[in-house]
Amino acid sequence: MSSLRAVRNLRICSKDCLCLYVCPTGATDTETGQIDFEKCIGCGACSKACPSGAISMVPYQYPKQQVKDKLVVEKLNEIIRSKVEQEKMAQYVYDNSDDVVLKQFSKALIRANRLIVEDLYREAGYMLPQSQNTRDFLNKLLDENIENDIKDDIKKLLDMLELNE
Amino acid sequence: MKKYICPICGYVYDEAKEGVKFVDLKDDWKCPLCGAPKNLFEAEAQVVEEIEELEETDELREMSYGEISALCSSLARGCDKQYLFEEAKLFTKLSDYYNKKSKTKTINNLDELLSKINEDLEKNYKQARLVATKKEDRGALRVITWGEKVSMILKSLINQYEQDKNFINKTKVYVCDICGFIYIGDNKPEICPVCKVPSFKLLEVGKEG
Repeated sequence: MSSLRAVRNLRICSKDCLCLYVCPTGATDTETGQIDFEKCIGCGACSKACPSGAISMVPYQYPKQQVKDKLVVEKLNEIIRSKVEQEKMAQYVYDNSDDVVLKQFSKALIRANRLIVEDLYREAGYMLPQSQNTRDFLNKLLDENIENDIKDDIKKLLDMLELNE
Repeated sequence: MKKYICPICGYVYDEAKEGVKFVDLKDDWKCPLCGAPKNLFEAEAQVVEEIEELEETDELREMSYGEISALCSSLARGCDKQYLFEEAKLFTKLSDYYNKKSKTKTINNLDELLSKINEDLEKNYKQARLVATKKEDRGALRVITWGEKVSMILKSLINQYEQDKNFINKTKVYVCDICGFIYIGDNKPEICPVCKVPSFKLLEVGKEG
């Protein structure tokens, strides 16, 4: 099996459909517009032919993520804790206001803070879902007292995500 | 001879190289990179001490439900980028679950939110920048710069809102889906001024009802 597979960015796809002409296995003719990963052999013909650059070749297995310095992670975590608190403050404003504009504004603040935190986590050692860090995090969640269906979802994720380090 | 560091962009003024003492620079001297005023600059000596005071801890700190939720939504994005849609869905479900479990933080007015943002700008981001600079972590410096800029924007928007609660009434609100930059105005910019992503990633937050 090839180490690569083709994926299509539907936002860029201009429906010139050259991928249909060049794909040797008919993996690109799906109604949803996504590549049929079962059929894709990773030859890259569609990606080379696509006039709008909408198809990329991505690896099945990603390289190990960059190791982060502990002190850097700690400092980023301090910002994370602060921004999460701010998200929760904005959420309080949103929940307790009847004013349409204040609701709109606080919703934007909630979203902005969440996006900042997500970005911080990627630089604080959680770039790849396939990393050991992610596994440790998920396993730790399993130790907690949580509903069974949530436990099942976490186990499913641990099964599906192939460790890459 | 000392070095002075710009807290906004990290520019280093090295007295040895410049041949002019920092204190002898005119008061209206500005950072040549980002225009920050002279009085914001910090001497490096302080900086090093500050870093050495920081303790390294081995233990993973307990994460709050809010933090768990945000890490899960971040990992959902990571899966989405890799076209792992099933995995992304599961992470989103986990994120929603922990978001519901987490408690909101009661505040009496937006000033309390403002003071948290100020704390980030005055302390947390500065310290993180010093450490990331010392450890040469370019990715961390990138996220610090974007976050600092967005924090400054949020601060100024909250200030504007407190001065004139009507300033959002007749216009639109957009949030950059990459860095969290908020734009309030009729026509969104062609690219996000903070992270430079094209405008289609600036998503509108509409009025409800």
